[in-house]
Amino acid sequence: MQSADELQVRKRIFLQRDFSNGMAVRFQTRFPSELDGRVNPEEFSQTISVLNEKYRQAEEISFSTYCEGCLACLTGYLLLLCINTHYKKVLKEISKYIEDQNNTIYWPKRILIKDPFESGLRSIEIVIFDEN
Amino acid sequence: MARQTGILYFTISLILVTVALFFGFECRLTLVTHLPYGYFIPIACGLLFLFNMGCLLRTAWSDPGIIPRSTPEEAAYLERCLQDQQARDENTREYRPPPRTLDITINGTPMKLKYCFTCKIFRPPRASHCSMCDNCVENFDHHCPWVGNCVGRRNYRYFFLFVTSLTLLCLFIFSFSVTHIILLSGLQGGFLEALKISPGRYPFMLICFFSIWSVIG
Repeated sequence: MQSADELQVRKRIFLQRDFSNGMAVRFQTRFPSELDGRVNPEEFSQTISVLNEKYRQAEEISFSTYCEGCLACLTGYLLLLCINTHYKKVLKEISKYIEDQNNTIYWPKRILIKDPFESGLRSIEIVIFDEN
Repeated sequence: MARQTGILYFTISLILVTVALFFGFECRLTLVTHLPYGYFIPIACGLLFLFNMGCLLRTAWSDPGIIPRSTPEEAAYLERCLQDQQARDENTREYRPPPRTLDITINGTPMKLKYCFTCKIFRPPRASHCSMCDNCVENFDHHCPWVGNCVGRRNYRYFFLFVTSLTLLCLFIFSFSVTHIILLSGLQGGFLEALKISPGRYPFMLICFFSIWSVIG
């Protein structure tokens, strides 16, 4: 399979944050017109919805996250050198999910979704390559 | 870590010198031998000092929630989207520079997102651009010169813990210095006599006293 470096980039789309329900991390699920014909709208909105749900889970407060925070504070934050916080674990899951989606759905159509963490959770970059 | 970090080293040395003087004079000379369970005092002070230093370094050396600048492609894409939107709204095809605000609704309340011309992004609400660090920071509180870093969303808790523990440390040192002087004046028969015996502690007591007011505030 050709690698991303060998193909020409036709277009880059940036899905912005959706602030309509508050400041929580959520991306707009509106289907970009540039992907019309290349990607199934339902699959695309499913990907973005799952990402939004995972980001919501990452910031969820539960008994374990509360304990993590308290223990970390009591040990002078040295605990954070030893264990990964819940947030980091979910971020890793998100990375893996994006990679899976790219490998199964998007790369066969020569589209790449980049992890929004690289842009500071500001936008999801979608790179559309020329089909050759 | 931000630029101009000289004041951070000043803060660290100030706290270090004050605590070292406290250990040197109070603990070594009188408190440990005089009071029952006096050895708790240097231990408690030591722990408080380590916690305070940890919080200070964590505040200074951690990311306050910096929003990365947009890539040129993203800036161009935003501009194109806005142009299209404007063209749809006003039926004109002329080029206009990107507007300074974007109207959005958050939980039903209309709000304006400001455009940062340096970072070329629309800032989320409560984000602000720090000119000292030259980047946008989420939930920007202020740029603290003592810590040498911005205080924003991601390091707010460390900054708050630093300020709280510094207050406690100051109160701790000040109260024990005063106790020591009272004890000494009891032994030596007079307040002035007690003051004459150990002149070295006045500078750091004064530092503590004034820092308490500025830090608690």
